Amino acid sequence: MFSGSLHILLADDDEDDRVLFTDALNELKIKTVVHTVNDGLELMEYLATKESDLPQLLFLDLNMPRKSGFQCLKEIRSNHKMAEMAIAIFSTSLAEKDIEETFMHGANVYINKPNTFDDLKKVLNKVVVTARSYQDTFYNKSNFLLRL
Amino acid sequence: MEETKLSIALKELAFQLEEKEKRAAELVIANKELVFQNEEKEKRAAELIIANKELVFQNEEKEKRAAELIIANKELVFQNEEKQIRAAELIIANKELESFNYISSHDLQEPLRKIQTFASRLTGDELQNLTEKGKEYVRRMQDAANRMQGLIADLLAYSRTVSTERKFETVELSTIIEAVKRDFLEIIAEKGAIIELQEMCETEIIPFQFRQLMDNIIGNALKFATPDLPPHIIIRSRIIKGNQLINPNLFVDKEYCHISIVDNGIGFDPQYKELIFELFKRLHDKEKIAGTGIGLTIVKKIVENHNGIISATSELNKGATFDIYIPTLHDK
Repeated sequence: MFSGSLHILLADDDEDDRVLFTDALNELKIKTVVHTVNDGLELMEYLATKESDLPQLLFLDLNMPRKSGFQCLKEIRSNHKMAEMAIAIFSTSLAEKDIEETFMHGANVYINKPNTFDDLKKVLNKVVVTARSYQDTFYNKSNFLLRL
Repeated sequence: MEETKLSIALKELAFQLEEKEKRAAELVIANKELVFQNEEKEKRAAELIIANKELVFQNEEKEKRAAELIIANKELVFQNEEKQIRAAELIIANKELESFNYISSHDLQEPLRKIQTFASRLTGDELQNLTEKGKEYVRRMQDAANRMQGLIADLLAYSRTVSTERKFETVELSTIIEAVKRDFLEIIAEKGAIIELQEMCETEIIPFQFRQLMDNIIGNALKFATPDLPPHIIIRSRIIKGNQLINPNLFVDKEYCHISIVDNGIGFDPQYKELIFELFKRLHDKEKIAGTGIGLTIVKKIVENHNGIISATSELNKGATFDIYIPTLHDK
């Protein structure tokens, strides 16, 4: 069990999505500290400086310039210091290939970016609650793709 | 004594004469034979000359034919090469089209999702700040955005039926239909619909494509229901020989799985029985019945991927019947 604010990081190159994401999290009842980075390179630099104080939950967009989310996922999962960090893929894509491969490379949950602000709040709530309560177990293959 | 000798000599002479005459007669016969044989030989020689000429002629013909064959062969090789070039070009063009289709549908979703999300924020906390007119505009905007989302989803589904791997598996059709029923659980409950499975068989199909096919046909049957009448959909499938079928497009010596889906919906005018399978063709006002005009095009494409045929029969307000024939053996 985890008490206090949950430290969340979002890596997404889309400004609209970063704003919507932060707004939605701030409207949830659960206390969170949100930080955002604008692409994969920035994400890896940020994580390198925060090795002792890593976020508990990372939301990772897949399609980003400079370094893709998929590349970041591989690098993070090959670094044992970041093993504790939960990774939620946060993408517009519903391509089976993307879902399959991110699961294989150790992402914890796959979120298809919702079409309404309400749905966005619902999925974020679901993931944040899960991350807070069961940091070890999280999701398995059958419920990897989050459905509302 | 003298007399006796003479008479003996005379007899001898007479005998020799006879012999000579005989020999002469024989010679005459032999001569005739020779003349005859000679004539025969000349005839044969003349025939041989003719036969020889014939042979020479035939030989020339053969050489001509051989020369023609060489030319025809070269032409064939050329045509074959052309075909291969054309086929390679087609594959490239197809791939480009697929990726174009995929990327455009995919990238179109991104800004659309923003429109939908920001519109949803307007109908959330901001709703109180809108006038009645403003609320109406947002509602219309959301409707349009949702329609576009449906279009993109259908386009993606269509491009998948063109591009994906075709792996046939033997499947009990009822399992697919049961899965589709689960997709429509809410609508079925809401409309009090009955989906009745009669005789069912198993056959070789591409499972996920067939699921999409059933989804679209059953979805249509539920959507185009007769007002105030609970939809009743009857589905059956059985293995049948091509010669038992009324449809003239089937091969008599082949075996088919015949699937029929009958509904009691609003049906359509029989003059549109071909048109309904064309891309983006709609028979109804989109204000009354939502839809993108892609669903049945996908259905037809999937049936074609199974080397099968599909036909629709209906009369206005008298329900519709879809007949699908899938060959039981897929030789490729």
